Amino acid sequence: MVSDPLPRDFVEAFDALREPLGPFGQRHIFFDTIGSTNDIVAALSAEGADEGVVVIADAQTAGRGRRGRTWFSPPGAGLYVSVLLAPGRAATEPVRATSLLTLAAGVALAEGIEGATGLSADIKWPNDLRVGTRKLAGILAEGAAVPGPPTALRVVLGFGINVGPAAYPPDLAARATSLESELGRPVDRALVCVHALASLAARYGDLMTGRFDAILDHWRRRAPGHVGARVRWQDGGEPRSGVTAGIDDTGALLVHVGASLRRVIAGEVIWE
Amino acid sequence: MDLDQLKQILRLVQDHGLSELEIEHEGLRLRVRRDGAGPGVTPSAALAGPSALYPLPPEAAASGVWPASGVLPTGVATPASDAADTELELAVVKSPIVGTFYRSPEPTAPAFVEVGSTVKKGQVLCIIEAMKLLNEIDSGYDGEVVNVYVENGQPVQYGERLFAIRTK
Repeated sequence: MVSDPLPRDFVEAFDALREPLGPFGQRHIFFDTIGSTNDIVAALSAEGADEGVVVIADAQTAGRGRRGRTWFSPPGAGLYVSVLLAPGRAATEPVRATSLLTLAAGVALAEGIEGATGLSADIKWPNDLRVGTRKLAGILAEGAAVPGPPTALRVVLGFGINVGPAAYPPDLAARATSLESELGRPVDRALVCVHALASLAARYGDLMTGRFDAILDHWRRRAPGHVGARVRWQDGGEPRSGVTAGIDDTGALLVHVGASLRRVIAGEVIWE
Repeated sequence: MDLDQLKQILRLVQDHGLSELEIEHEGLRLRVRRDGAGPGVTPSAALAGPSALYPLPPEAAASGVWPASGVLPTGVATPASDAADTELELAVVKSPIVGTFYRSPEPTAPAFVEVGSTVKKGQVLCIIEAMKLLNEIDSGYDGEVVNVYVENGQPVQYGERLFAIRTK
């Protein structure tokens, strides 16, 4: 797969913020159009690429979300970025660090967007970014199985941010929004990308050094729906509904269902 | 551990009416479980058919016996029986995490593997989702899938058995 030159505005934005980028300041691979940035990073990981490699695309032809969902990725409208991480190397509690990785990524993305544009987005558990009820950005994390101890786990973390308005398919139009639609002005995509990666470097640093409380605190502040909101989800095929009661120390969503408290760790939770 | 020791263990389980016994000895972990003792899967179902390949004393016939050694277990050769000169191994792939078990990459796609599928080392067997991190679980072995213990979409615990693979 032959990559394309990193556009000038990205080169400048990366140069301006090299230090805070930490592991994401080293290697940037850009594609005008690619199937999926996550797939490219997974392939690089299989070839032994170092943690921190960044793949960016202007458009994806097979952009995807959780469980085969499509992530609409037309040219010029969004930012599609994937990075390679190794949360199992965390200095303390690698299992907890891995569990909190996706929440940390949600916090980082919200902080990066706010830093670059001033727009404050809410987090929907575990890490969708929304403005009101509309989705602004999503994260897809995929763990590549590695034989051996859990510390060997490598994670491909991809995010998609809707930057400008696009001709969304009808089923998306009512549920999606973009930075430019919300702000009513043009947004510097390269700046958003670099701020998001710098925030990710900082929150990933928290994770790797055991500063879990910082991640949980910031996540809670940005996720108003994690307490007292009515939600429904599927539990092993059974439909359930209840009222959110916070998240626990591993990031699991707690939900009151009648008199009992349930812990949700996977699947899609729908806020009503 | 030799065959006699194995027999002793199995007798112990039977004599004391134990439903399950797990022991660790010189780096080998053994779990013995009697039919119908646990919820869901009965180990003997996985071994239906090739019982002759599994040279256990008659009293053990009702028990499933195989090594269980951590996240990516190494198969353990069964003791050679009278006539059999080939060594056959049965490996169990366990869940490295707590999460939701998916047998296919997406809801409408076919399963990664079925019972009877031939698998290569490194081939993806399933996905386990936790905290929206979708973990691909690989086969650590070349071999044939002889059992799938968990149904699609069900929660799994750390260390829970996912697949049995007869290694080649």
